[in-house]
Amino acid sequence: MKQILNIAYYEVVQILKDRILFLIIFFVPLLYTLLLGMIYASSILQHVPLGIVDLDNSVESRNVVSAFENTNNFNVIPEIDTYAGLEKGMKNGTVRAGVVIPDDYSQKLSQHRLTQILIVYDGSNLIYGFNTRRYFQQVLNIFSADHTAAYLGGLGMSKQEITNVMDTVSVNMQVWYNPTYNYNTFIFPGLVILILHQIGLLGIGLTITREKERNSWIQYICAAVPQWKIFMGKALPYFIVNFFNYSLLLWVVARFVNVKVEGSLALILLLGLLFNIIITSLGFVISLYSSNSLQVVRYLMLLSIPLFFISGFTWPGTQMPALLYWLSRLLPYTWMAEGFRWVTVKDLGYNYLNITIIMLSIIAAVTLFFALTFSKRRNPPVGEGLVVNSRNTYPSRF
Amino acid sequence: MLKQCPVIVKREILYMWRDRGLRNILIIGSLLGLFLFMGIYSQPRIDHISTAIVDLDKSGASRKVIAELKNTQDLEVVCYPDNFEQLEELIKRGQVTVGVVIPENYAKNIALQRQTKVAVFIDGANIIYATNAASAVLRVTRTLGAEVGVKTLIARGIQPDQAKEAYQSIDIREEAWFNPTLNYAYFLVLPLVLNIWQQCCMLASCMNIIGESGVRSWLQIKVSGVSTFKLFFYKSIVHVGIFMLIILPVYFLAFVVFKLPLNCGFITFLLFTLVFAISLHSVGTLISSFSRNAVDASRFGMVIALPSFVISGFTWPLAAMPQWFQPVAWVLPQTWFFQGINYLFFKNPGWEFMSCYFLTLGIMSIICYSLAALFTHGLKARFR
Repeated sequence: MKQILNIAYYEVVQILKDRILFLIIFFVPLLYTLLLGMIYASSILQHVPLGIVDLDNSVESRNVVSAFENTNNFNVIPEIDTYAGLEKGMKNGTVRAGVVIPDDYSQKLSQHRLTQILIVYDGSNLIYGFNTRRYFQQVLNIFSADHTAAYLGGLGMSKQEITNVMDTVSVNMQVWYNPTYNYNTFIFPGLVILILHQIGLLGIGLTITREKERNSWIQYICAAVPQWKIFMGKALPYFIVNFFNYSLLLWVVARFVNVKVEGSLALILLLGLLFNIIITSLGFVISLYSSNSLQVVRYLMLLSIPLFFISGFTWPGTQMPALLYWLSRLLPYTWMAEGFRWVTVKDLGYNYLNITIIMLSIIAAVTLFFALTFSKRRNPPVGEGLVVNSRNTYPSRF
Repeated sequence: MLKQCPVIVKREILYMWRDRGLRNILIIGSLLGLFLFMGIYSQPRIDHISTAIVDLDKSGASRKVIAELKNTQDLEVVCYPDNFEQLEELIKRGQVTVGVVIPENYAKNIALQRQTKVAVFIDGANIIYATNAASAVLRVTRTLGAEVGVKTLIARGIQPDQAKEAYQSIDIREEAWFNPTLNYAYFLVLPLVLNIWQQCCMLASCMNIIGESGVRSWLQIKVSGVSTFKLFFYKSIVHVGIFMLIILPVYFLAFVVFKLPLNCGFITFLLFTLVFAISLHSVGTLISSFSRNAVDASRFGMVIALPSFVISGFTWPLAAMPQWFQPVAWVLPQTWFFQGINYLFFKNPGWEFMSCYFLTLGIMSIICYSLAALFTHGLKARFR
């Protein structure tokens, strides 16, 4: 135990001495979380800039305009009042949606002929596109109902009769787990797990490469300390810091970022524990087999985006080719992000997460096995390592 | 001045080639990203959303509701659970996204002109799906309401023409401009690949100065009489040239093989990429001018490059970010780039609109290179 603690103490000293590493481990996760919290502060896309081209300018057409003005989802831009203006506005981003009321709108209505309203929205940003389409449907349903009610009123029907006719079939729509379509609740759990994944790997990923670059790794290899103790000692500080970060970020997103974090605390902690074991042991193995720190930093950072998108967190895995889907199922991030969403957003219990927990446990066992049983044989120096401007280590100015 | 140019260029290409990690990243990073993202978004439309229907009525009227739901391309009825509990379980397990419950006596209530309610449940955990499912359900609701309403009015003795007019006198036509099929691959694949590309380029740029000043050969360069300006100028030309060289096959595959539609001219698109590559390189050079070593430079570079795509407002719009944060986002060249390529790719708004994007990226490059020169000059003084 003393040997483990000695190695851990030495590792802590190294972290404290490397100011940048210290900042990355302790502050960057929080910094990124707060940054993303600011970006998604509004969390619900509202006030979509809308241009209304009212070519009819009648009482009836103004009813259509009012229907769009009386909702928070749209922000009517009065400067857009011609079709050419709408086209230009959509091109330069002044408006993201438009409504065109034809010049014979009221005339056709009075003649009881079919008339058409055109609604357009910007498909170049699908976050805008999908939300705007939904908002349009909501407004148009209300507007159509009002129009029908007015028409039936004109036929001499009483209010009660109109209500009875119109409510014969009503649809009661409920959106579970995220009823306000909160973007934070949707995206934040995945991003937080990604931050922990990447920063966790980056921290411990340098633990052995650093020793190799200082030629001190040979001391570990030659010392009469078993491999598992070396791993435990080196991993302990990172394990503690990662778990601290996991708890801190959860608290921050729940308290300050308006993200729904529900579910069993025991399950959240269990998932965090398994994920932390995987990250710590995987990072150690990566460091073990990497030739230098620069290589670790470069490759790890570039993995962030592919990891996030292949995981199916935003675009479901069932929509992907089978090869990519099964590849994603081998990655701990995929399981953790999905499991974390199921607990914190859907508030599901153990019986729904048993496969996730089993898979994370298997991955943890595999990575731990490789971390605990690495070979202490020193590989002969090879000239194939990373070469940066004629040197096989990274250059330093100071 | 021109005499030393080929020597420095050749030396830089050789050094970049010998940096195996960087070489691999630059050559295969973006290409791998393109194939990966094209694979992920190989089914680029959100339609056929899995739907389950609990039909407790099993009547002709309820079958009409089912037919109406099946009629929409957005929803796909995949199963018919027997009761609500089974439906709830399917939604909880993520096996279906939409659940519909048609109540008992649905047909009877309609016939008797009594109120009846169809319940729709949507899994909101993935809002991309939930938003599309909600739109589809709202559309079906309007159609269904109109059909039943017309029948009810006719049953009450209203003329069929009048009944139809009450519900169907206004037709609503829906158009998605710039991306009519709401294709997710068109929206996201190329920007994601360019995001990987800019990260690779940032890693390479971060080596520009520290790759020289961090090694002892820096002293040799100093005594050789080659001016610092000349050295880094030619090095930068090589870097930017290589950045452009690695993006060309990506553009070829994206626009020619995968046939992503490009609304502006290819030369304009390439020119915009070049201006961005220069400004990105200037930021990397600036970082490499004050970093202690290459690892730190890479870390700093990635701290900026990693979140820049999210900050750029390409997915979650800039207009929806806090007012005070928006100017901060515009400080990054990536914001100008990703916003710019969105306009060029989908809308081609013309030179008048795009000129400020070109200009700003150019000004950013001048500022960053100037600051890098100042830092490097300080470094020179220290060595002196």
